[in-house]
Amino acid sequence: MIHVRELTKHYADLKRGRLVALSGISFDAMPGEVFGLLGPNGAGKTTALRILSTVLRPTTGTATINGFDVVTQPSQVRHQIGFVSASTAVYDRMTAWEMVEYFGRLYGIGNGQLHGRMEALFDRLQMNEFRDVLGGKMSTGMKQKVSIARSIIHDPPVVILDEATVGLDVLVARALLTTVAELREQGKCIIYSTHIMREAERLCDRVAIIHRGRVLATGTIDELRSEHSEPDLEDLFFKLILSGPEGAPPPRLTNSFS
Amino acid sequence: MNFTNIKLIFGREIRDQIRDRRTLFMIAVLPVLFYPLLGFSFFQIAQFLQEEPSHVLVVGREDFNDLPALFASDGGFNSELFAEEKKAKLLKLDFWSLKPGPDGTPARPLSEADMRGMVETGKYEAVVYFPPDFAHKLEAYRLYLKDQVAGKWPANVPRPEVPSPVIICDNRQAKSQEAGARATVPLTAWSEDVSVATLKQSNVDPKPPVHVKRQFVDGRDEPNIDTSLWSKVLPFVLLIWAVTGAFYPAIDLCAGEKERGTLETLLSSPAQRGEIVMGKMMTVMVFSMVTAVLNLMSMGVTGFVVMKNLGPLPQMANVGPPPLASLFWLVLILIPVSALFSAVCLALAAFARSTKEGQYYLMPVILVTMPLILLPMAPSAQLNLGSSLIPVSGIVLLMRSTMEGTITNANQWPLIFPVLAVTFCCCWFAIRWAVDQFSSEAVLFREGERWDLSSWMRHLIRDRQPTPSVGMAVLCGVIILVLMFFYRFLVSPDPYGPQPDLEFFFKIVLVMQVAVVAAPAMIMAIMLTRDPARTLLLPIRSNFRSVIALPAAALLAVFFFPVIHNLAIVVQLLYPLRSPELEVFSKLIAQIQPGTRLFWLGWATIALAPAICEELAFRGFILSGLRHQGHKWRAIIFSAVMFGVAHGILQQSIISTVLGCVLGYLAIQSSGLWAGAAYHFTHNSLAYLTSLSAYKIHHSQFHWMQTEKWGASVFTWPVMLVALLFAGFILLLFSNFPYRRTHEEALQERIEHEAAHSLAG
Repeated sequence: MIHVRELTKHYADLKRGRLVALSGISFDAMPGEVFGLLGPNGAGKTTALRILSTVLRPTTGTATINGFDVVTQPSQVRHQIGFVSASTAVYDRMTAWEMVEYFGRLYGIGNGQLHGRMEALFDRLQMNEFRDVLGGKMSTGMKQKVSIARSIIHDPPVVILDEATVGLDVLVARALLTTVAELREQGKCIIYSTHIMREAERLCDRVAIIHRGRVLATGTIDELRSEHSEPDLEDLFFKLILSGPEGAPPPRLTNSFS
Repeated sequence: MNFTNIKLIFGREIRDQIRDRRTLFMIAVLPVLFYPLLGFSFFQIAQFLQEEPSHVLVVGREDFNDLPALFASDGGFNSELFAEEKKAKLLKLDFWSLKPGPDGTPARPLSEADMRGMVETGKYEAVVYFPPDFAHKLEAYRLYLKDQVAGKWPANVPRPEVPSPVIICDNRQAKSQEAGARATVPLTAWSEDVSVATLKQSNVDPKPPVHVKRQFVDGRDEPNIDTSLWSKVLPFVLLIWAVTGAFYPAIDLCAGEKERGTLETLLSSPAQRGEIVMGKMMTVMVFSMVTAVLNLMSMGVTGFVVMKNLGPLPQMANVGPPPLASLFWLVLILIPVSALFSAVCLALAAFARSTKEGQYYLMPVILVTMPLILLPMAPSAQLNLGSSLIPVSGIVLLMRSTMEGTITNANQWPLIFPVLAVTFCCCWFAIRWAVDQFSSEAVLFREGERWDLSSWMRHLIRDRQPTPSVGMAVLCGVIILVLMFFYRFLVSPDPYGPQPDLEFFFKIVLVMQVAVVAAPAMIMAIMLTRDPARTLLLPIRSNFRSVIALPAAALLAVFFFPVIHNLAIVVQLLYPLRSPELEVFSKLIAQIQPGTRLFWLGWATIALAPAICEELAFRGFILSGLRHQGHKWRAIIFSAVMFGVAHGILQQSIISTVLGCVLGYLAIQSSGLWAGAAYHFTHNSLAYLTSLSAYKIHHSQFHWMQTEKWGASVFTWPVMLVALLFAGFILLLFSNFPYRRTHEEALQERIEHEAAHSLAG
């Protein structure tokens, strides 16, 4: 479903020079699976997900979603994914209903089908009570629900969630995780980035621990625990990121990236 | 492009903007309320605009018994000396006699210094001074006139001095200047009356032999203020508000969307960048047009009410409303120009991270647009083929022509097409630019870094790449232009001094080529890139293609020369601008004798130096940097435009831009500097040699090659066609050269190939 190979991404920064946001990461994610990208802030999770959602272009490497290349076939890729960014990204002057309808239409869903799906989604995510509330007046939880609704309105095979529970209270966060689990049950491939270990333990079938643009370990959480002899995921995470050369500052690019 | 997506984005943005109270207030409410409030304030201010009378002292009043009266019995000037009687009341006079009165009042002396002091201290706004012998001199002059008419004036007696009263006023004070001007009116009229009366006394008919009468084709006796006023005011108001109206929506739709974090969501949706830009641009365009039209309407209604109620400015009260039909056409012409402004504003706003930053970026749009709108307001500016090709100015002139009703003339209406073609072209380029901005990661995900010079310099040197970036290329172009400006300013000769000789002219051009054009590019290449040789297209190794490219490029220059020569003459016809300095030098160059030292110096200056220096700068550093945009032709055109602008004079700039495209293409296809240099040298050599009188082609011998047309020698069509045919063959040869692509160009080609492949599939 998702195949990422040797993906790198470099940025230019006035103060720090050319930065390596991603340094040859590779992973695969399958249908009916929640694949977690675990890493601290600045690890490169958002960059990786932005590349998968075709918003950024990789410097080198390839990534395909459902067989479509993110660089050369971005239009086809966008039809395969639903993307929930770290910011709730809701239009202030649109109601919940208008917003989901707008994205549904952008995905080319016909009128009759669209409204049926919207009713079902609004019921499932319990959004009916604020369907006519403008985005600017919604709570963070409401906004995140709208974000998820508009990202899955076209029933994509892949859903990408970038730190989706940031800023949510416990109740809303739990509801969101339940929704993600339901999406997995429907056979969707879910890429879920987080830095909260408990979420990863509870939700992810497999994880890639990512730090300073490199994948330090990949596998199921049980596999990682037994491989590194650490029963606690958080301890395992710290052990991985503090040991080895990856703990050092990121390498600086000194030659051409072409 | 999916039009359903464009419609969806357009609909959403329109709804979004209508729900934004700030935008609505700025776009619609403010203009509607602003003008009536302005009109209301105008009535208040108008009270202060009442004309106040001027206090004038008349020194040395004379009584002229048998002449028309200068003064009235009420102590003012005779009201018959004014075009309007009430104007006489605007001069309040006091009198100062220099002679003893008939009742024995003693004379009161007053020197000219005293009079000036009275004006300077503000006691009087002006002084009209009749010298003591004024009456005597006037009588003597009248006698001379009578005798002259009767033929009695002796030929050996000189003409008596013309008597003149003096009006003293203060140049530093506007009120004093006004008083002086007012006092001049009755004195001038009186002087004419005196002449007429004198001639009548000599039985000569004072009527002038010729009476000029103006007739207007619209049947009026007086100039039509409505048409001339509205044809200037309305296009100005419409375009200024069209730009202003595009500002706020453009900022909100780009920078605002970035601030809210919704742009990333939209970019990951199926809507393509072009569709997003089109949807947003149409929204900005609607608001731009609505703002312009609402302002026009509000200004029109307010202006009509104000003028109808204006007492103090009666000359404006006669101005009627603009013709309605022309208003309709004006709004129609507004559509493409609004599209242009909207696309430009959108592209600039996309660069901004916040709405505040957006306002900074959009301010230069006004600064660039303003002169283009004001230029056609000059009475001498006319819609012709040359002016129709100037963006924005052409539209303003078209609007003016429509308002004046001259657009239906046979020589005017065909100009609608070039005006619209230029506007649509600019619009297309602006949209492409906006789409690029929306595709650029550097623009969309710019981090809010604190900029300081030391960090930036460190970044430039530490993170050097083999070839320069796009920004460095633009910077190099700007540096060269700025240096050229100051260099020309420094070396330009004193217009009132002796003209410098030709040798001096050649030397300053040589220095400019080396120090101002080549040096910045070479210094930047050495300091800012890791591979200066590659940057300046100076490959060490040579192969068969690079060797054959040199004679091929030189031959191409020979075959293209007739086309460029004729094009230059057409450009001269379109824009008949004159550079007196250049004309002088052209004449001097024509007189150079072949084989002399000056001849070789001229050749080195005009042909050799530009072929090396300009190629190093424009095809070397600048083109290498611009190619990182990912589009070969875009880089060629941008570098050619910079090359054109560097030539200063408009006609030269146009031709140089065309040449720059050919030179850029040769540089890229041959992956080296020398093919372009060979072309440049050959072309300039031909231009130089054919400008010498010694090498002028004689029509009697080569009449099949050149003919006299448009006041110049032009190459004939058969010559042009044959030359173009051969040039085409050579270009075909260059097109088959496998050139080295930049990383961005290779990626772009891969994307286009995949897109074409998927469409075909």
